[in-house]
Amino acid sequence: MSELREHYDPDRRDAGPTDRRDAGPTGLSRRDFLRTSGAAATAVALVEAPAALAEAAPATIGAKAVGPQAVKLTLDVNNAAMTTTVEPRVTLLDALRNYLDVTGCKRVCDRGTCGACTVMVDGKPVYSCTMLALEAEGKKIKTAESLIDGGKLDAVPAAFAKHDAQQCGFCTPGFVVAMRAAFDKNPNATPAEIEEALSGNICRCGTYQQMRDAIASLCKNNSRKGG
Amino acid sequence: MATSWPKKRRLIGSKIQRLDGPAKATGKAKYSYDINRNGMLHAMLLRSPHAHAKIKSLDTSDAEKMPGVKAVHPIKKAGDELFWAGEEILGLAADTEEHAADALRAVKIEYEVLPHLVKEEDALKKDPETAPPVRGKRTNVQQAAEGASKDFEKGMADAAVTVEGTYGVPTINHQCLESHGLVAEWDKNGGLTVWASTQAVAGTAGSLAQHFAIPANKVKCITHYMGGGFGSKFGPDIQGIVAAELAKKAQAPVKLMLDRASEIIAGGARPSAYGKVKVGATKEGKVTAYEVDCYGTAGIQGSQTVTFQALPYVYPFEFKRKHTSIRTNAQMQRAMRAPNHPQNCALTEFILDDLAAKLEMDPMQLRLKNLPQNDPNAVKNAPHSLAALRHTIYTEEIQIAADLSKWKAKWHPPGKTPGVIKHGIGMALHTWGGQAAQRNECTIIITADGSVTARTSTQDLGTGQRTVTALVTAEILGLEPEQIILEFGESPNGASTGSGGSTTIPSQAPATLRAATAARDELFAKIAPKLDTKAENLSIERGKVVDKSGKSWDWKKACAALDGEQVKATGFWSFAESVKPENKDVSGSGVGGVQIAEVLVDTETGVVRCTQIVAVQDCGLVVNPLTCESQVAGGVIMGLNYALFEERIMDRVTGRQVNPDMEFYKLGGIEDMPKIIVHLHDMPERGVIGVGEPPVISTHAAIGNAIFNALGVRVPHTPFSPERVLAALAAKGV
Repeated sequence: MSELREHYDPDRRDAGPTDRRDAGPTGLSRRDFLRTSGAAATAVALVEAPAALAEAAPATIGAKAVGPQAVKLTLDVNNAAMTTTVEPRVTLLDALRNYLDVTGCKRVCDRGTCGACTVMVDGKPVYSCTMLALEAEGKKIKTAESLIDGGKLDAVPAAFAKHDAQQCGFCTPGFVVAMRAAFDKNPNATPAEIEEALSGNICRCGTYQQMRDAIASLCKNNSRKGG
Repeated sequence: MATSWPKKRRLIGSKIQRLDGPAKATGKAKYSYDINRNGMLHAMLLRSPHAHAKIKSLDTSDAEKMPGVKAVHPIKKAGDELFWAGEEILGLAADTEEHAADALRAVKIEYEVLPHLVKEEDALKKDPETAPPVRGKRTNVQQAAEGASKDFEKGMADAAVTVEGTYGVPTINHQCLESHGLVAEWDKNGGLTVWASTQAVAGTAGSLAQHFAIPANKVKCITHYMGGGFGSKFGPDIQGIVAAELAKKAQAPVKLMLDRASEIIAGGARPSAYGKVKVGATKEGKVTAYEVDCYGTAGIQGSQTVTFQALPYVYPFEFKRKHTSIRTNAQMQRAMRAPNHPQNCALTEFILDDLAAKLEMDPMQLRLKNLPQNDPNAVKNAPHSLAALRHTIYTEEIQIAADLSKWKAKWHPPGKTPGVIKHGIGMALHTWGGQAAQRNECTIIITADGSVTARTSTQDLGTGQRTVTALVTAEILGLEPEQIILEFGESPNGASTGSGGSTTIPSQAPATLRAATAARDELFAKIAPKLDTKAENLSIERGKVVDKSGKSWDWKKACAALDGEQVKATGFWSFAESVKPENKDVSGSGVGGVQIAEVLVDTETGVVRCTQIVAVQDCGLVVNPLTCESQVAGGVIMGLNYALFEERIMDRVTGRQVNPDMEFYKLGGIEDMPKIIVHLHDMPERGVIGVGEPPVISTHAAIGNAIFNALGVRVPHTPFSPERVLAALAAKGV
C-alpha cells in the first residue's frame, strides 16, 4: 500500500493512509467513499433512535455552525500560536499565506493536484488548499519554514541545496515537506518509496534528476526495490 | 581595455552550490506572490467566458457596493468585441480575496455571442472570419510564407527514394508554477514600487513608467525570486497595469496574481505546427531535397509558428517551404523556451528516421552523412563561431551521445523487437544562439571592512545567475562565492535586459568580470600608497593581496587600508562589446546539441515509458557545471513533458480550453522520469554562451523517433499519449 498526500477529508478524523491508485477524481478512494456513505446511511437510520446517535456519530452531533461572517481563528504554526480572523470558507493555505504571512507553502493549482501547498498537519503531509483553516485548529501545523531552526538546516532541504534539486524553487518547499514527512514515517524508506511519497508533487523546471540524487544521499536503504 | 577571462581559474568551471538553495528549500525566499504589504488589497480580473462576443451591457454598480470593494478598473466597455475566452474585461480590488471573488460575481454583464474558431484545422476548410479586423479583413487564415532554394527541383528529381509524412505538435501552455502578476504600491511622492513575477526587471519598470507617463526613476521593480517564466513573463502585462491602476485608485497596495485557470488560459501558449513533409535522398542516404507545407496557430495574433528561415532545421538541405499562420480565438502566443525551434525540430527530425527506415539504414549514420559542413570563411575569420565548428561539434557530440547511450549495441531496425512491450531508441539534433544582449551592468562595491557587494538589476529565474555573479566576483577578488553580498533583481541597480534567448549569462557574466576587475584595480590604486608599494606590484591570491616583493596581506587587512573609503566599479557588456576584436571569446554565440532517448512502448495499452535520455550539450565556457547540468536536465524533462503529456485541448463548441488546470493538463512527476545523463561538451575557448533554451528543443523529437524505432510505425503528433499510439498502430493494422 502506498502513502499519499491527503486530500483532506473532514469525515476521516483518523486520516490513515489511502491507496492512491484506488482514488477517483474527488481524491476519495472507493474505500473512503463506502465508509463515508455508510456513516451517512447510519446517521439517517439513527434519526429514529436518537439515544444511540451520540455514541455512533459524535463528530456529526458535536459540530457547531460558524459563519458566514469572519470568525476568530488560532492556529499552531511551527510551534507558535497565531491568531487571525477569517471567513469559514478560507482554506488553510489561504489563512497561512494571506492572513498569517506564512508563505513557504505556495498556491499553484489550488485544487489538490500539484503539491506546492503541502504542509504537515499532526505530522502527516496534507494539501493545505484542500483543508479549511477552521479544521486545522488544535492541530500542529508545520511548514517548510520549520525545517530551518536558527542556522540549522534540516537534512532534507540541505540535500536539496547540495544536489541542486531546485531551479525556480516555487515547488520546492512542497517537495521538501512531503519528503520530510515520508522519512519521519519511515526512516528506512527506500528511494522508490520516497519517490512514491513525492508522486503528489509537480515540478515545472524539471529538477527530478537532482532530486533523485538528493534522495539517494538521504536513504540509508538505497535498494531500488520496495514501495 | 581588452577583456578576457583569467587563464588560471579557481572557481569558474567548478561545481558551486546554488547560494539561495537553503532559502528556497525552506520557504524563506520571498517570491512576488509571497509579498504581503500593510493594508494590501487583493485584486481579480473578470474574463470573457466566450471565445468571441460583443459586450451588450456592463454594469458594475452592484459590484462596487459589495463588502470590502475598494476600487474597480474597467478594461473593456459596452460595445467592445472580445476575441478569446479569457480576455480581460475589468479588474477590481477588495480587502480580501474572498470579497474580491464575491464582487466579481456581482458584475452584471450581457454578451452577444459571436461565431468563433479554436481549432486551426477547421479554418483550412472554410475561413470563418472571426479574427480582429486588420485593414478591414477578419480572415483567420493568413497569407502563407513561401520559398525555395535554387536547386530544390533538381534535388527532388535526383532523388533515388522519397518519403512523405505528416507530423505535428499542438499548442501547449507555459504553466508557470508562480503565476503571472505583481504587487503594486504607490508612495506619497508619486513613486511606484512593484514586486513582479517577471523575467525582465528593468523592462517591467520601464513599461510601467511609460504607461503612467512618469519618470523612469519613479518606478522600482523588485524580483528577488521568480517562480518560472519560460518566455512568458516579459513586462507588466495587462494584470500588472491593472494592479497598479487599482492601487492608485484605492490608495493602497494591491496584489494581483493570476489564479491557475487564468494563468493557463491567459498566461502563455506556445504555438502549434502541423505539416506535410517530403524528402528525397540518394540510395546512400544523402538527402537531396526537403519540402514542407505547414500551418499552425499563434492564437489571435497572426505570427509564424515555426522559424521559417530555419526550416529545414540544422541540416542544409535543398528546400521548398510553406507556412500558413491561422488566427484562432485564443490567447496570443508568447515566447516559449527556444521559440519555434521545437516545432522546426519535429518537422525535420521525424522524417529523417522514416527515411532511414526506408533505406534500411541506421538513422545515426544517415545524420552523419547530412550534417552541415564547417564554413571555410568562418573557419578563417571567426574560428570559434558555430558556423566554423558546426560539423565538428555535431560529429563529436553524436559520438559522445552514441557512446553514453550504447547506441551501437541498442539500436535495431524499427519494430523488430519481439513481445508486447517494445524497446526503441531514437535521436535528434538542435541548435540555438545564446549570445549577449543589449547593455547589461554589474556594480562591485568593496568597503574597508572587506565586504564585497555585487549589485545588478538582472533577475535569477532559477537559472543560477545569482551564484554565477558571486562566483565570477569571487574568482577575480580571491574570495569564496558565499562571501559576496548579492543585491539582485531591483531595477534601480543598473541596466539589464530580459532573460530571453538564453542571453543572461553571456550578458551578465562578462559585466561582472569587468566590474570585479575594475574594482580590484581601483582597490590596488587606493591601498598601494598605504601599503608602501605600487598598484602594479599588487596581485590577488586566494584570500589575500600579494606584493611583488613577496609580502602579502589577508583580504580584510588589505581592505582596511581603504581607511573608510570605498571602491565602487561598474562593468557593462553587450552584444556590441562581445564582437569587438579585443574582447573576443569572452562571450560567444551558437550551440549544437544531441539527444538520444530510449523508450518502452506497451503495444496493448499504448503507454510509452521513457527509460533513459542522454543529452550532450555545448555552451562554450561552462561557468558553473552544477547549475548548468541542472538547466540541461530540466530542459530535457520539459521536452519529455512535451513528448508524452502536454496539450492544450480546446472545445470546438464553447471555444474554451477544457484543461486549464493541472490534472488534465498533464505534467510528469518524479516517477515518470527516465534516467537522464547530461554531458556538457565544454569548449572554454568559445566564451560564455547561454544554455537555458537549447536542451528543451530536441527531446520530443528524440522520443518520437525512439517510439518509431520501437514500433516501426510513426506516431505523428505529440503528445504521444496511449490513445495516439494505439491509433497509429491501428491505422497500420498492427
